[in-house]
Amino acid sequence: MFFTIGDYLAGMLVGAVTALSVRMVVWPGMDMVIAMIVGMALGMLVHLILGLGLGPLIGMFEAMIPASLIGMYGGMFFGMRDSMAAGSRTLQAAMAVGALFGAIVVAGVHFYDRALRGAVVDTGE
Amino acid sequence: MDTATQRKWDAASRNFDFFSYGDDLRLGPHKQRLFAKMRGETLMLAAGTGNDFRFFPPGHSIIAIDISPKMLERAAKKAAAYHGRIDLRQMDACQLEFPDNTFDTILTVCTFCSVPKPVAALRELYRVLKPSGQILMFEHVRSRIGPVGMFLDLMTPLSRRLGPDLNRDTVGNVQKAGFRIRREENIYLDIIKAIEGVKNPSTSR
Repeated sequence: MFFTIGDYLAGMLVGAVTALSVRMVVWPGMDMVIAMIVGMALGMLVHLILGLGLGPLIGMFEAMIPASLIGMYGGMFFGMRDSMAAGSRTLQAAMAVGALFGAIVVAGVHFYDRALRGAVVDTGE
Repeated sequence: MDTATQRKWDAASRNFDFFSYGDDLRLGPHKQRLFAKMRGETLMLAAGTGNDFRFFPPGHSIIAIDISPKMLERAAKKAAAYHGRIDLRQMDACQLEFPDNTFDTILTVCTFCSVPKPVAALRELYRVLKPSGQILMFEHVRSRIGPVGMFLDLMTPLSRRLGPDLNRDTVGNVQKAGFRIRREENIYLDIIKAIEGVKNPSTSR
């Protein structure tokens, strides 16, 4: 239970920090392709730093795998959004959307984990 | 003895317990369930700092090896706290100093992400395992989920400098070494797995 809460909090933190760092670097009117690449690079950097920091608390893979998806895809989405100046006008709103994105990715990873968990091969011996 | 690997894990021993704290708490019950299948003469490969000793069922006599003397220094206290007997020895997984057909059970925990020649080491384990003996492995492997597998490939050059590879096909390597897979269970996504292999009863080495 505590680990599940920790997973969601970690994902929300990675999402919010990725959104914040992209908002700091990408400006409205920036070439969207460049903004997406920059966003992805920033997201990957954020995921590495926060993932390594959170790993000892909630488990390395459980921290790093969702964080990598949030950083990579979230960074691209936030870069696209910020280059178009579409939605999330304030920094707080951008971070809230980042946290929401993080929580959705964690929920998706949990769902997929449930589907995959269990015996793949069992000869019954 | 592979001195480069030894030096890497000597260095990693300083922060090993810190970085594995969450994993030990979270994955401990799964390890305990796997280790409950331990029987007879038992060898544990790559004991590390001995964090997994607490998940062993009590009353067994186990030989635990590691390539890193610094890891073994840290493991000594935890071995002493085990309700049974754990004999710690420094040894390279690819050059085991045991005769053929010695052990009934071999345990590995997050080992074959790090051994530089995994199939050679697994063949060495096959050699020292008795016919019908079992290998119980708790390992992380490359994911078959597209973007996750790609991410693990991408991260491996970095992770390898500090410790493990993230994209090994350990189940395939176990089979290449001659073991038959008795059970394979996904613990987290298709990355962390409990793998049980068996040595062919008609094989003497």
